Amino acid sequence: MKVVPSRSNEWVRSVTPPKPASAIIEIDRVSQVFQTSARKHHLALSEISLTIEEGAFVSILGPSGCGKSTLLYIVGGFVSPTSGAARIKGQAITRPGPDRGPVFQEFALFPWKTVLGNVMYGPLQQGVRASEADAQSRALIEMVGLKGYENFYPKELSGGMKQRVALARTLAYHPEVLLMDEPFGALDAHTRTRLQNDLLNIWERDRKTVLFVTHSVDEAVFLSDKVVMMSKSPGRIRQVIDIDLPRPRRRNELLLDPRYQKYVVDIERMFDESDKAGSPS
Amino acid sequence: MMSPATLTRRIAPALACVGLLMVWQVASLALKNDSFPTAIEAIRAIPDILGDKESLINILASLRRMAIGFGVAVLFSIPLGLLMGRSRAVAAFFNPLLMIIYPVPKAALMPIIMLWLGVGDVTKTLVIFLGVSLPVIYHSFEGAKAVEEKMLWSGAAMGLSPLQRLVRIVLPAALPEILTGCRTGLVLALITMITSEMIARQSGAGNILFNALDMGQYDTVFAMIIIVGAMGICLDALFDQVRARLVRWSEPQFDMPLSFS
Repeated sequence: MKVVPSRSNEWVRSVTPPKPASAIIEIDRVSQVFQTSARKHHLALSEISLTIEEGAFVSILGPSGCGKSTLLYIVGGFVSPTSGAARIKGQAITRPGPDRGPVFQEFALFPWKTVLGNVMYGPLQQGVRASEADAQSRALIEMVGLKGYENFYPKELSGGMKQRVALARTLAYHPEVLLMDEPFGALDAHTRTRLQNDLLNIWERDRKTVLFVTHSVDEAVFLSDKVVMMSKSPGRIRQVIDIDLPRPRRRNELLLDPRYQKYVVDIERMFDESDKAGSPS
Repeated sequence: MMSPATLTRRIAPALACVGLLMVWQVASLALKNDSFPTAIEAIRAIPDILGDKESLINILASLRRMAIGFGVAVLFSIPLGLLMGRSRAVAAFFNPLLMIIYPVPKAALMPIIMLWLGVGDVTKTLVIFLGVSLPVIYHSFEGAKAVEEKMLWSGAAMGLSPLQRLVRIVLPAALPEILTGCRTGLVLALITMITSEMIARQSGAGNILFNALDMGQYDTVFAMIIIVGAMGICLDALFDQVRARLVRWSEPQFDMPLSFS
């Protein structure tokens, strides 16, 4: 059965002619200040402006502490910016919503639910009939490669399997934007590679907008259409680089591709330079 | 076939009980004190107590008060503890109050409560309620505080309201910790049940015990101690069965991740 997204603005969009690559998320001069102690403030994000186009795979790349996760949380509506605003389809983001689906490094699965229970949670919350939610969820579990594990509890799964469940759980309620917060950061290198490949395969089917936070240059270049490089203290956008590599991407071909290698080396060099030029802190 | 290790584990509790009774028997024979009957004398007095209709009614009345006090305390304490764990304002308000109440022996409040509410069931049930509440509130509070923020964010993204998140995410996530509090609460319920009947003597298991003490029937006193102890063990075992069923998902026997990425 075909899954029809029940978004109310579907109708509105069909009236206005669809523009190719229209902006879905706009981040407008967003700053975030954290109070670290009674008198000290830390400027985590400084005047960030960024536009993300519909259907794009965008990575936010930077060293730890550059505020890249905070930026993702602001888009998610989990954190309110100190100043500035983020918008989705022109609407100001004030709270979390099912149009933006997060996938966290910590998996954040519901440990009292089975794999199937976790994946069905969102659709049931959205009012999808139980039999339908069950069928859709089983299909998703199969898609992420966990067929046969429907009745396992999260505690019985390895890290990579847990992250597969988390991805399926988020895809299950059809968010328009996937917000991925270093999703493979806690996994070993082998598992990480497999999940990157599988994520790309899944993404290349329906081309959902993805905002992907990572500190791995290879990962960002391999997956993305666009890499947003950030620098830290204060968190700023250093440069935005379009990754002009053909899709579908295959790891074994890409690693040998000089264009891929050049992107990786260039980006690494830019980070090195900014480290040397940076303040002696 | 049971392996020797399993067999040892199964019979260990029985061995411990038999060992305790043997030490008791030897100690009382050695001391030859009238107020310290032997284990065998105490065990012989048990059927007399359990066979007496009056005594049974007393014991059942005790258990009923305990069940009500425990039940009401749990229903009150879990929501309060969860709210405290998720809201700094609620925690800031209730924490000082609980800090004051915590170290006060609940039985010490009995004379005052008796003045207000008499010596009947209400007073004793209230004291049991107070005894059970604090550990349950405390463990619910700690459990709710420890719930991963990202789990709540995931729920919020699915469209759960703050109240739904409290009931459908914080409550189940904190359940193992909450049930640890309930288990402590159950033992405290038994203790406060007996002490309340010691202070307000009118009926109950504690009443039988202290009446026998007044009349110098020491075998009955010790028989009651055995009965109360056995009730404690049975209640705890029963509770653990329920607990294990509710939080099967967090049990350590599941702690064997499969090797598969």
